[in-house]
Parts: sequence; C-alpha cells; structure tokens
Amino acid sequence: MNNPIALILLALLAPMAAFLLIAVVPSLRRAGRPAAIVSIAAVLTSLLSAIRVWLLAGDVTTPIRAAWPWLPAENGALGTVGVLIDPTSTLMLILVTLVATLVQIYSLEYLHTEPPAALGRYYAYQSLFVFSMMGVVIAPNLLQLFICWELVGVCSYLLIGFWYRKPEAARAALKAFWTTKAGDVGLLIGIVLLYRLAGTWDLLELRSMVETGTLAAAGLGVITFCLYLGAMGKSAQFPMHVWLPDAMEGPTPVSALIHAATMVTAGVYLLVRTDFLFKLTPDVLLLVGWIGAITALMAAILACVQTDIKRVLAYSTVSQLGYMMTAIGAGFAGAGFLHLLTHGVFKALLFLGAGAVIHAVHSNEMSDMGGLFKKMPQVAVVFIIGTLSLAGVPLFAGFASKEEVIGATLAGGLTGPFVMLLIAAFLTAFYMFRVVFVVFFGPRKKTDASLHGQEYVHGAVHSHDPGVLMAGPLWILASAALGIGGYFTLNHPESEFTLPGWLTPVAVAVAFGGILMAFLTYERQVISADSLARAFGPIRKAALAKFWIDDIFEGIYRNILLALARGIGWVDRYIVDGVLNVVSAWTLEGGDALRRIQTGRVGDYIFALAAGLLVLMFWMGGSF
Amino acid sequence: MPLSAYLTLAAILFSIGLFGVITRRNTVGILLGVELMLNAVNINLVAFSRFHDTEVGMVFTLFAICITVAEVALGLALVILLFRMRKTAIADHIDWLKG
Amino acid sequence: MNPEVLGFWVLAIMLIGSALGVVLTRNLFHSVLWLALGLVSTAGIFLLLDAEFLAAVQVLLYAGGVITVVVFAIVVTEKLVGETIAHTSKRLTGGAIVAAGIFAMIASAISRAELAIGRPEATAEATRSIGVLLLTKYLLPFELLAVLLLAGLIAASYFARPED
Repeated sequence: MNNPIALILLALLAPMAAFLLIAVVPSLRRAGRPAAIVSIAAVLTSLLSAIRVWLLAGDVTTPIRAAWPWLPAENGALGTVGVLIDPTSTLMLILVTLVATLVQIYSLEYLHTEPPAALGRYYAYQSLFVFSMMGVVIAPNLLQLFICWELVGVCSYLLIGFWYRKPEAARAALKAFWTTKAGDVGLLIGIVLLYRLAGTWDLLELRSMVETGTLAAAGLGVITFCLYLGAMGKSAQFPMHVWLPDAMEGPTPVSALIHAATMVTAGVYLLVRTDFLFKLTPDVLLLVGWIGAITALMAAILACVQTDIKRVLAYSTVSQLGYMMTAIGAGFAGAGFLHLLTHGVFKALLFLGAGAVIHAVHSNEMSDMGGLFKKMPQVAVVFIIGTLSLAGVPLFAGFASKEEVIGATLAGGLTGPFVMLLIAAFLTAFYMFRVVFVVFFGPRKKTDASLHGQEYVHGAVHSHDPGVLMAGPLWILASAALGIGGYFTLNHPESEFTLPGWLTPVAVAVAFGGILMAFLTYERQVISADSLARAFGPIRKAALAKFWIDDIFEGIYRNILLALARGIGWVDRYIVDGVLNVVSAWTLEGGDALRRIQTGRVGDYIFALAAGLLVLMFWMGGSF
Repeated sequence: MPLSAYLTLAAILFSIGLFGVITRRNTVGILLGVELMLNAVNINLVAFSRFHDTEVGMVFTLFAICITVAEVALGLALVILLFRMRKTAIADHIDWLKG
Repeated sequence: MNPEVLGFWVLAIMLIGSALGVVLTRNLFHSVLWLALGLVSTAGIFLLLDAEFLAAVQVLLYAGGVITVVVFAIVVTEKLVGETIAHTSKRLTGGAIVAAGIFAMIASAISRAELAIGRPEATAEATRSIGVLLLTKYLLPFELLAVLLLAGLIAASYFARPED
C-alpha cells in the first residue's frame, strides 16, 4: 500500500472494528482468548500501517490532510473528521501502536487467571482505547481531537476500574475521570472560544492564520490557558496530578499503556500540536513552564517515600510529564516531544517489568520483594535498562532527551525551573535506583507468594522469569531503549538552541550522584535510611501526606461545593418551589374564600344582583 | 300631574318592593315584594302609554299582568312543594346549592 | 285644586303606605292584606290615567286572583305568624342602601330626561283600541299567552298533586 491516507485510516479503524466485533458479538467476548487474538491482530495491523506511513511520509514538509464533512452547515461543513499526517503525528502514532501492541500481548499472560468474559471485556476496552488515542493523534481539527480526547478519558475510566468489584479500583477510576473532566471543561471552553475568535477548528488553517498574522490577539491568552487546563488534567500537572497515583489500582499493563506512553501524553501532545498558538501568549507559556517544573520536583520528592513499586513509577511519570511541560513552556516544544517519545518507551518498559515482579511475588509492596536478581534475571536486566534510561545515563534512551529538556529550559530563560529540574534529576536517579537495589538486590525476603496461603496455577514458588508472552515485549522495549539511546548519544539530536558545554557533564554528574546516593543508602547501608529520613523530617512528613493536596481537594468538595449545593437546594426548595407553592396556596385559599359568596340563599343572590345593578347603573354614566 | 310624577311614584314603589325582596325571610313574603315591583313597572308602562298617546303600553301591561298571575301561581306551587319536602317556607333555609 | 292632582296625591300616599306595609309587617297575612290595598290603589292610578279597562283587569286578576292564591299558599304552609323584622335578615341595612340607591338612580334619570308635561286629549277609545290591537297586531303574543297559561295550569296541578 502506498497511500498514506488509506494506511492511516486502516490503522485507525482496525481497532475500532475489533472493538465493535468484541462488543457486539457476546459469544466472542465471553470466549476470552479469541477476543484477545482479534484485538491483538487489529492493533498489530495498526502498528504495521503506522510504520509504513512513517516510512512513506514521516518527513514531509507540508502536512498531508484529508477531511470529510461531518456536521453540515450552510457555508461549508461545521465539523469535519479526517486525518492529518506530518512528522509529529506519524512518530506519535508509532509510539502509541507499538506500546499498545506490546501491552496487549503481555496482558495475555499477565491476566491469564481472569475469567474469559472479563478477559473479553478487557480487550474490548483496549481496542477502543487504541482507537480513541489514535483519533487524538491524527486529528486534523480540534473538534475531532476533543471527541477522541473524551473517549480516551472514558476508556481510562473503564480500564482503571477494570476490577470494578474492588472498591479502591472503582474509586480510583472515578477520581481519574473527574479530575481529567475538570480539565476537559477548560479544554472545551478554550476550543469554543477559539472557534469564536478564528472561525475554524482546523489546525492547519489556524497555523496559517497565525503565520499570516490574521488571527486577532485579543482573548488569545484566555484561550491558550483554557487549552492548557485540559492538558493539565490529562497530563497530571500540579495540582491535578492526584488521579495518577491512585490509578495504579488498574492492572499493570493498563498502567504501562495509559500512564506511561499514551493517555497522559495526550496533554503534552495537545500543546505540541497547538504550539503556534501558545507562542503568541508568552505569559501562559511561562505558567506552563513553572508548573511543569514544580510538578517535576514535587513528584520526585513524593516518589522517594513510596513503598508501593507502582506508585513510585506513577510519581515518576508525573515528574517526567513535568519535564516535558517545562520544555514546552520554555518555548521548545520539540525537546518536550522528544522526551515524550523516549519516556513512552522506557516507562512502559519499567511498568511491564514491575508487572512481572508483581505477578511473581503477588504483591505491590517493595517490602515483599528483595534479592530477585537471582530468581528473575531477565526482568532484572530489562528493569535496570529502563532505570538507566530514566536516570539519564548516556547510551540509554532518556539521556539525550532529558538533556534537551534541561537545556531548553535554560535556553528559554527559565532559570528557576532549570534548577528545579536538576534537583529532580538527582532525585529521579536516587529513587529509581532505590527501587532497583531494594527489589533486585539486598536480602531475600521470606515472604514468597506461597506464604499468602493461596493455591495458584504455576506451583508453590512463583518467583521466576516470566514466559515469552511477557518477556518478549520486555526485551523489545529494552532493545528499543538501548537503540534509541545509542543513536542519540552518538548523533546528537538537532535542537533549536545550543547546549552550553558544561550542561552535559553536569547532567551526567547529577545522575551518577543520585545512583551513588542510592547505592550507599540501600545497598551498602553506609548511609542509613533512617538518618536520611530524620534529616529531611518535615519534608518527609509532608511527602507522606502527599503534600495534603488530596485533603485540600476533599475539603473544597465538602465545605465549598457541598455547601453550595445545599444552598442551591435550599433556594430551589424554598424560593423556586416556594413561589409556586405560594401561588398555589393563595389560589386555593382565595377559592376557599370566594366560595363563601355562594351561600345558596336566594336573598343573598338577589341582594348581590341589586347591588350589581346599582354599580352598573353608576358606571354607565348615572350620577346622583 | 306631569309624567315625572307618575314615574317617580313607580320608582318609589319599585324600590320598596326591592327592599322587601331582599329582606324578607319567608318565601311568600319575597313573592309579595316581587308583586310590588311588577306593579311599579305596570304603572310606568301605562303612564308612558297615556302621555305619548298610544295604546301599545296598555297592551303590554295587560300581558304583564297575565304573566304575573301565572308566575305567582307557579311560584306558590313550588313553595308548597318545598314546604312539603323540607317543612320550611323560609328562603334562608333553602341553601343546598351552597358552594 | 285640580281633582286629578288631589286624586293623585291621595292614591300615591295610599299606595306608598300600603307598600311599606307589605314589606315591614311581621305578620305575613297582614302583608297580604296590605298588598291587596296597594293593588287596588294601583287600579285607582290606572283610572287617573284613563285606562279603565286596565283598572278593571287589575282589580279582577291581581286583587282577586293573586291575593286569593297567596292566601291559600299561606294557609297551606301554616306560617301565619312571621318573624320580626329585627331578625328578619342581616341584609336590612344593605337592602335599604341598595334600594335607596336604585331609587336615586332612577329619580335622577327621570329628572334629567325631557318628559312630556301635559297629557294629550283623552279619548274614550282606549279600551276599543286595546281590543283591536290584541286581535290584530298582537295576536301572536295573545295566543302565546293562552298557551303559557295552559302550561302554567298543567304545571301547577302537577306540582300540587297529592303524594302517592
């Protein structure tokens, strides 16, 4: 196939077809594994199509756009659906489909204890999710982007709450949905205001309007801020990051898919796509940069005190998203996008690796793990590769992109954020290697899964390397991380700014410093973890309380929103209904009172008649 | 006497009859008041007829008297029936159409 | 003094007096008698107005017929002794005001109207004219009147039938 548009449509619609098939044919869904095969086949098709498109059109200078009218209106269609092919979207598409394919294959083994009907449901959701995320990526206009954006939110709710019988999972799914929904309201407002300002939703048209200067600047700051609100929600920026750690209640492959590589990156992707608008509003960009840096540092601190391995990774994701946003805020969206791509690869790797560990030990807590290097060498190796990428060590994937981000921040003049990012880099290396040393090295924990008293399929001692369905994706991602890392270390990515010469050594030093710190604390026990805890006492306490952000939100909800709701309810009952009730009561009482003139007595009636006659005669012009 | 005298006389009679209709409790008493009012009307008619040199008013009066007679007869029949049913001839006691 | 004027005043006083008697007497039977006087006075007024035939009809039908019927009704309902005016009704003052008001209205209308002062020549042809009119121009109402009286007769006898 040589037509990029047709290829993109194939990539987009294959998972949709899979979803419809699984959803509409109950026998397929309830069968479990056949549904999984259908879904995996579809997403694999998407991956191959995406790669082919990238080979064909990945470096076009003018984007290829195809649009079909959807909402008919008088002067041309009000809304269109279609595809937009340019370097950004093709690369993003590959990331999305690659991670989705690997995750779906991995899930076959990870969820092998699930009942078939639940498995079918899982793969239906996965297909729908891939479709909607691709819809966001290739959307040529903001309307389609928004619709697919919302669909992504729905799918995340469905997937996080996959084990809906667990109350924590249900709550976490709801929390994710509501927090992102708050941001989505901002996004919708921004899109509508933009339409009112510019008269179009189309990204290419908007870009040309900006380039030719025909876009009015009045009110653009509000618009970009509202768009940023949407990104804040989906990409877990402070203070709307609270849903991401809780979302770890979902199955680990789900976390790998949507909280590492795809859904949370949608916010960053949106900002990259509408970058030309944000460049016109430097104040909003400044805000983006600062909030990104705050998010990065805060999440890094929070990751240091977590004991649940998935939570560490969750906060790490929040932190890295902060990095991407800071780069965009500094004005260099390309650097942010590069980090998005590399982060997608190694974070998915880390999550899937953690999943293998969790699957073996049957617990998320790091205190239940330890010394697993000997029992699960493959997992250990790929996990360490991922960790090195995340820490920003040369030759591994994250090194160049992280350096680009930090350099971009400095070049964009955001020195405060620059310092924060450096500190966060140190902490990142520290807490990730804390995980490595505690989980894979160190004393063996006696608490193998068998102590939980459960009988399960594979036998008593489960801590061994996973089968090929789980190990395969792990090795593929690890190879990608190594490959990308090697490529970018040797051929430095072209950037729009110049990196100062001292930046690379400083960044590498910071990374190694963190690794060393973790080594000394957790492996050699030279520095005791307790003394560290005491040294950073108040910060640690605040971190354990998640900086009270959840409590603030709950307080706002209980005291402000609920009180407001009660107030409005009072107004509704006593004023709105009250007016009606008063009118009704007066009518009834008036009727009751008027009833008394019907005495039934002839004399009264005649009297009334005569009096009325008198009045009438008077009124008709008589006078005394 | 000028026409106005007769008309004023009729007016006085009419008002007194109206007063009787409004105030009397006994049904028959009310009917008597009605008689007075009709009488007043008749005087009016005859006076106008005489002063305008026409007999039409008198014919009208004749009809009025006859119809009044019939009306009284029927009204009193109703009063008697009512008395038979409810043992009362007081109009104020007949209030079954009370609202 | 003009006999007509004298006659008018006498009859007027009789009429008004008997009317007051009708409405103010507590005894119902006395009211009926007052009414009889009033009806006869009205017949006198008719005579003053040169309507001899009507005066005769008035006496015959009203004073003779209506009074008789009313007396019978009173006898049947056995309420010879009525109630005092005092607790006749609560509508006393209201009724007085309304009646006075209506009289005032009519009186003012009379005073403002342009009415004939003198009466035209009296003829002895009044009765004859009435008869002719009844049988020519107003034949239909005349016949309808007969029908009405028949209907009244039937209805009255139906109402007054004995209970069985």
